[in-house]
Amino acid sequence: MAQQRVIVVGGGLAGLAASVRIAEAGTPVDLFSLVPVKRSHSVCAQGGINACNEVARQQGYSEYEHFDETIYGGDFLADQHPVLEMANWAPRIIDLLDRMGVPFNRTNEGNRDLRLFGGSLFKRTHFAGATTGQQLIYALDEQVRRYEAEGKVSKYEFWEFLWPIIEDGKAVGIVAQDLRTMQIRSFRADAVVMATGGNGLVYGKSTQSVICTGAAAARCYQAGVWYGNPEMIQVHPTAIPGADKLRLMSESARGEGGRVWVPRKKGDTRNPKDIPEAERYYFLEERYPAYGNIVPRDIATREIFSVCVNDGLGVDGQNQVYLDLTHLAPDYLTKKLGGILEIYEKFVGADPRFSPMKIFPAVHYSMGGLWTTFTKGSYNPNDALTKHKSGSRAPINFDIGLGMQLGAPNNSMTNIPGIYAFGEVNFAYHGANRLGANALLSCIFDGLFCGVSVVNYIKNEAPSKKPADSVAQSVFDAAVASEQAKVKRLMDAVDPAGNRNVEVNPYAIGKELGDEMTAACTVVRGEARLKQCLGKLTELKDRYSRLKLADAATWTNQSMSYTRAMGDMLLIAEAIAKGALERRESRGAHYREDHTERDDANFMKTTRAVYDPASRTTTVDFVPIDASLIKPTARTYGKKEASAEPAKKPALAGV
Amino acid sequence: MISTFTNTDANSPLAAELAQRMANRKMAKEGRTIIFRIKRCDGPGKPSRWEDFKVPVPKNANVISCLQYIAANPVTAQGQQSTPVVWDSGCLEEVCGACTMVINGKVRQSCSCLIDDYAPGEGDVMTLEPMSKFPVIRDLWVDRERVFHNLKRVKAWVPIDGTYYLGGGPKESPQKQETRYKLSECMSCGCCLEACPQFNLEENKNEWDSAFIGAHAISQARLFNEHETGKQLKDDRLDVLMGPGGVNDCGNAQNCVKVCPKHIPLTESIAAIGRAVTVRAFTRFFKD
Amino acid sequence: MSTPETPAPTSSSPGFMEKNYFLLRRLHSLTGIVPIGVFLIAHLTTNSSLLWGKWGLRSEGADETIISGGVHYFWKEVQWINNQIPHLLLIEIVLWVSIAFHSILGVYYARTGKANTARYAYQSNWRYSLQRITGYIAIFYIFYHVATLRWGWEFLIPGDAKWSADYAASTLAAALRGSNTDFTAMGVVTSLFYFVGITASVYHFANGLWTAAITWGLTVSAPAQRRWGYVCAMVGVGLMGMAWMSLAGALITPPNEMREVEQRLLDKQKVKLPPQPGTIESRAEESLPMTTVSNQGVSSGQ
Repeated sequence: MAQQRVIVVGGGLAGLAASVRIAEAGTPVDLFSLVPVKRSHSVCAQGGINACNEVARQQGYSEYEHFDETIYGGDFLADQHPVLEMANWAPRIIDLLDRMGVPFNRTNEGNRDLRLFGGSLFKRTHFAGATTGQQLIYALDEQVRRYEAEGKVSKYEFWEFLWPIIEDGKAVGIVAQDLRTMQIRSFRADAVVMATGGNGLVYGKSTQSVICTGAAAARCYQAGVWYGNPEMIQVHPTAIPGADKLRLMSESARGEGGRVWVPRKKGDTRNPKDIPEAERYYFLEERYPAYGNIVPRDIATREIFSVCVNDGLGVDGQNQVYLDLTHLAPDYLTKKLGGILEIYEKFVGADPRFSPMKIFPAVHYSMGGLWTTFTKGSYNPNDALTKHKSGSRAPINFDIGLGMQLGAPNNSMTNIPGIYAFGEVNFAYHGANRLGANALLSCIFDGLFCGVSVVNYIKNEAPSKKPADSVAQSVFDAAVASEQAKVKRLMDAVDPAGNRNVEVNPYAIGKELGDEMTAACTVVRGEARLKQCLGKLTELKDRYSRLKLADAATWTNQSMSYTRAMGDMLLIAEAIAKGALERRESRGAHYREDHTERDDANFMKTTRAVYDPASRTTTVDFVPIDASLIKPTARTYGKKEASAEPAKKPALAGV
Repeated sequence: MISTFTNTDANSPLAAELAQRMANRKMAKEGRTIIFRIKRCDGPGKPSRWEDFKVPVPKNANVISCLQYIAANPVTAQGQQSTPVVWDSGCLEEVCGACTMVINGKVRQSCSCLIDDYAPGEGDVMTLEPMSKFPVIRDLWVDRERVFHNLKRVKAWVPIDGTYYLGGGPKESPQKQETRYKLSECMSCGCCLEACPQFNLEENKNEWDSAFIGAHAISQARLFNEHETGKQLKDDRLDVLMGPGGVNDCGNAQNCVKVCPKHIPLTESIAAIGRAVTVRAFTRFFKD
Repeated sequence: MSTPETPAPTSSSPGFMEKNYFLLRRLHSLTGIVPIGVFLIAHLTTNSSLLWGKWGLRSEGADETIISGGVHYFWKEVQWINNQIPHLLLIEIVLWVSIAFHSILGVYYARTGKANTARYAYQSNWRYSLQRITGYIAIFYIFYHVATLRWGWEFLIPGDAKWSADYAASTLAAALRGSNTDFTAMGVVTSLFYFVGITASVYHFANGLWTAAITWGLTVSAPAQRRWGYVCAMVGVGLMGMAWMSLAGALITPPNEMREVEQRLLDKQKVKLPPQPGTIESRAEESLPMTTVSNQGVSSGQ
């Protein structure tokens, strides 16, 4: 290998942004993806991308406030410095995307239009129709295609990442498999960027794509990478129940004025249009007068869950509530939300412009992920600030490098030198709960900001400057042989007679895993149920070791790939359940019915899950976080009966 | 694919198709079992065969959920043990384009294909075939590399000066944004190519640069020609589209616009590029 | 999606077709309209006068029947074309070359497509397929038409009629009927072929007019394409009417009846001209049926 190379695993927003940045710096990139990168899960993001902007700034908003909201929204679980840097970079990222040609919605004057989104009282969310994620990933895909045409990026699409190759404690390459030819081979690289997204498939049905198994992260985890906050799983409040998946109904439906309600009377079977206002229970508006329907996701989810499960007020006696847009003009809805409303119409067969949608929460995002570190920036106050008042001067400005040091080689690097985690698979930015429209931001920020770190790492920090080159071929061959052995074990399990034992059908295990995780590890969690869940996972692991494959093909064998991922998903599921069990408090998306209060003294810490290869189990401990910038406060979003925290309202600066 | 939501033109040739689906949806029987007739192929160069699978249809079932059922129960209607059917899928929300296949003879995404719309009765048959304009990898999974290759042919990107902070992009009117957004919704699924009588299977990659590029890439060329910065490569794009396999190869069958799941005005893009290459040709002849 | 194992597509050195791709494509489109389409309009206008000529003659045709008036007017038109239009041979050669060019390239282009109306039975897709089918038909038809009635390949004509500008209508009718009086079996076949041929040609032109506007980028928006589609449909309907009128005009009257009208006109013309030995009249008398020799070198309308 004449030149240093970087491998990027995952072709979503984070992987593409990283590829662009690294290729631009003159380092060749090998980009691996399960699917053609343009089809990555990032396309599903609908609502938008947050950033401070001039209009909001003149109403009293600031990058600092964006940072504050993100920390507050994440219930003070995130290390604060990286979040500060991300918020400060957000406007630059929007500008860059704008230059790349993203068709952001426009005002009449031709400026970028903004919308309201959960967790903020300021319009700070930029959007491109109702398919912002799609538009952003296309813009980056195009830039990567440009570099591909110039020979700076090589794409390996339909290749599955199998294992990181680590020698002397440093990443030197990966093993991957072509899902068409089933060829397994190793690739050398001086650094490996994991940008492999979330793990929704652990829950069976979620809002995530069928490729979001979390297996790639799980393989790194088994290879020794720590996993941070696995139990922090965001359940999106509004999804459309479906037979194959739960389709997201974007938060922008609420941001644009959508109202959530149920009939006040239990078992009211009237047509929703015939139910008068007085007999409708707008429970979010009544319980959270300041934020109303745009409370953060975890709160909306729990309230919907509570109204249906505890109060039994679900529409038609089922677990669903109305998300109502019918009071808004159909033309306005078509223009602002056309794309997402069409999804509902398409998959349910009713037009949401004229009849209220029926929705229920669904697993949506993994705040947790591979544990990463960073180098703090130049802003290091002696005392953390108390809550900042909107409209007053922001206590921290938005220079580059205040939160994180630009170019420090360890930014977003895992505990294994040379392995980076970018985007959703990085646990860093969203703490215990992610704010809507912050995910796209964190993905692109990781790729652009920390991409520089990768380049600096391979240029300056990697000891031989070319660690991959100095490693013996036998190391790579051994890694390939190990993966081939795993495949052989699965393939040997194909019943030659064609008889299949239903007990060890991998799809049956997948379904049971999903059902169990959905029941035990989503909205409400409890000690007994989690212990039961861990027991179930042990049983599934055992059954997994005895399963039989139905397809012996040595060409394009999807069953094999799915089944292999299933084994990795079981380990991630265990980390999630163990983290949830050990975190004996309620914080953000993690709600314990037996520990309903937040416990900052013991648990304002990162859950660190470490895999023990000997016992094939997870051990969990808690490591302190850096919360030196903002003091934790109660996260109430001005709920009526809770302590009276003054709600933030937009105000003119200086008034 | 086509929905009551977006289909505002009652005279559209698709209105009848839609009406038929809505009627089927209304009369769909609960608890029925239907037959999936699937065209299977074990790999490139292998012969194709048809296999039938009986699938119970729950409420709101779509082709994906039925294929998932078959994957977990790969036994044919005749009781023969088979293998799980291989197919490509991703988001299941009709925004990634992966799960495109030929269903009952027409190309579309399988995730948005509700069984109620197509097979409302007990024992009804639905046929699934791989797209025919791309090489089959296995069963319903085809290799659409050429779709992405064609995007390179027309330089479908904005040539920015790198990712350093250089301020914002150009201002844009809401009308222009709406035009570009519509074009930019293209997910490279290949429906327009599958339905196009001028776009044919071409397994020899050496022929790709002279074979018809298809509505997809022509429309993307228009998208980037419409952008203030993207314009800089306009002549490069047009020169490619004037040559073999370019916009002139379009036969105006206009199937593309009818099967496009995103309702992208592909035929308008083709005409707009037709106009642009006309102007370009005159400019090149008389001026440059 | 390219991986290092997959070789990048290489381009072979371009041939004549590739180098002049755009020019040839656009010339193909252009020749369909000018000169071929323009000629088609003129040609059908002349020929359909077999039915509307009585009114074209104005006061002169007051005493004529529809049939005789039509033959009269048509005769006048053909005489004018053959005797008055300058450089007629040059015009004809340009036409023949254009038709050959349009045909050869058309076949070449048509072979790049694969019709799929069975699966996508949209009206526009049918038009696409029909455009190609009618193109093939038109090539055969036009070749037969020109060869038999212009180049004198009588062996292809049932009944061996020979077209003559002086007896334009009657010799045409004879060539279609297979005899000077009644339809022969081959005459019926020929007439049907003409019907299919002219119908195909008119469709091909009208639809080509519609697609040309897209090709050249005149109609961009879908509504504009629809509007232009209505215009082309009207043009097509009008031309189709004229085409069918032409054929009907040539078929409804037996050739010998037409010939009487033509003879009358020739006689009248002869009166004005100095008498010559071996006049048309004398020749016509000795060989009444279909062996008339044209007295003019070149002619265009038949």
